[in-house]
Amino acid sequence: MSGREPLVRMVNISKSFGTVQALKDVDFEVGYQEVMGLVGDNGAGKSTLIKILTGVFPPDTGEIYFEGRRVDIRSPKEARDLGIETVYQDLALIPLMSISRNFFLGREPVVRMGPLRFLDKRRMDLTVREVLSEIGIKVRSPDEPVAVLSGGERQSVAIGRAVHFGAKLLILDEPTSALSVRETHKVLDYILEAKERGLSIIFITHNIYHVYSVADRFTILEHGHKVAEFRKDEVSAEEIIEIIRSGYREPEE
Amino acid sequence: MGQKTAAGRVKSPPRFFHLFALWLRQHPEFGAFAGTVIVFIGFSFTATRFLTADSMASILTVAAELGIVSAGITFLMISGEFDLSVGSVLGVAAMIFAMTSKAGWPHLAGWVLALLASAGIGLLNGIIVTRTRIPSFITTLGAMMFWRGILLAVTGGFPISYFPREMPLMFFALNGRFAGQFRTSALWFLGIMLLLNLVLVRTRYGNAVYATGGNREAARVLGVATDKVKLINFVISAVLAGLAGCIQFSRFLSVDPMRGLGLELEAIAAAVIGGTLLTGGAGNLIGTLFGVLLVGMVRSGLVQAGAPAYWYQAFVGLIVVVAVIVNTNLRRWALK
Repeated sequence: MSGREPLVRMVNISKSFGTVQALKDVDFEVGYQEVMGLVGDNGAGKSTLIKILTGVFPPDTGEIYFEGRRVDIRSPKEARDLGIETVYQDLALIPLMSISRNFFLGREPVVRMGPLRFLDKRRMDLTVREVLSEIGIKVRSPDEPVAVLSGGERQSVAIGRAVHFGAKLLILDEPTSALSVRETHKVLDYILEAKERGLSIIFITHNIYHVYSVADRFTILEHGHKVAEFRKDEVSAEEIIEIIRSGYREPEE
Repeated sequence: MGQKTAAGRVKSPPRFFHLFALWLRQHPEFGAFAGTVIVFIGFSFTATRFLTADSMASILTVAAELGIVSAGITFLMISGEFDLSVGSVLGVAAMIFAMTSKAGWPHLAGWVLALLASAGIGLLNGIIVTRTRIPSFITTLGAMMFWRGILLAVTGGFPISYFPREMPLMFFALNGRFAGQFRTSALWFLGIMLLLNLVLVRTRYGNAVYATGGNREAARVLGVATDKVKLINFVISAVLAGLAGCIQFSRFLSVDPMRGLGLELEAIAAAVIGGTLLTGGAGNLIGTLFGVLLVGMVRSGLVQAGAPAYWYQAFVGLIVVVAVIVNTNLRRWALK
């Protein structure tokens, strides 16, 4: 694995908003088929880093390499086109819309009738049925609104969507923060399944225990600095918590 | 085995309600449909001439002009924005159509100019809302007052009439009579409703409209160009208001600068009766169709039933509140 360029490499990323330095010279990488836990306290810069990677805003300085190539990601759509899918905590799905409309939002299959293009409703429903039964969610119809799904089911559907559309990198923003214990386990299982299928995953969370059970490596951010990076065999969950709790100290070589 | 059947039989009523709830989840227009049926039956008994073709035609005439405006409003509301300026836009468009007709322009040219002006106003509304992020309620409230003021200033407050010796073809196409008292405006209305509903339910753009109103931020991170959607919908809303203005002018052959005053609220009321959410993300045009028919029936039914016309507003107000209460409860129940 070493020697090979990782899937994502972010080098020397800095970003400030006005006078606030949100990120300072952060290096970050995720290997192929690896679950990377991105952890740190509130305001550590986790979401800023992810928003740069997903094209929500550009970095002030720094470079991003994806599959070994230097890339400029200028919008969420460009990130998606590269194969970077993000599942945001509250923004995974739109509750009032049907499951199948959500699943295909922005990428709906169409049938052509002359110059007109209509949604290929049959294909949409068929695919959604398949994915739902794979995940193990029972609903009467793909036309059901997302509002009838539980929080865990929503996260799973959003992850299933990323897998279905051939994502290479899946970014999960606090996927378990609002879930019950049982639902959390389901989602964690599903994350491992996505990894088995060849995806790399960035798992952002406050809950070290959740991420610890599935991650291969951890990156710890604190006040916009990267303070540590560990493989799982180098560190225990308690040690990670301790590092976050003790706060940032100037790195000593 | 016998026990099983017995249990099955006991469970059948809740099962029916369950299926109904599932159906209801995808049909927010049910409340308006039920209301329309109830009011229809009510007037059939109380208003003597209600069930005649002429009476149906007069309901459709009212419903068509309101409905074309309300269709645009519905589209815009589903994407999460308001347009209070449609009444003024209707007035401006009607006035442009009247002035150009009077000045001897070809009617088609005057009509196109009126629609282009409406589109311009809609575009301006959209640009202001998407660029500044000021709530559309405020932006279009300003637009409503501004364009009404312009209308009054330009005309000096006087109405403009245009009485051609014979009915121009354009006027017939917009609002001519056929089959007795029926008017072509009803065809515009039904055509627009069906077309917009097709766009909403069966196209990618429709999906983007729902997503934009359902959760703008989520739609954006999923790659929907939410600002573009809103901009387009502001233009649709204004153009349809302008069209309704031209249609109305073709009927009255006269327009005063207060034309369309208060119409915006009636159009929003019809959409809301039809199950469109004020907060966006849900609704459809079938609901608005019934909402508009309901309002139209109340307007002509009350008069026919012998009630003074003043009761109309009170009645519509009552219907709006009752409809929203019913719609909200139905929605809540269906999702349980």
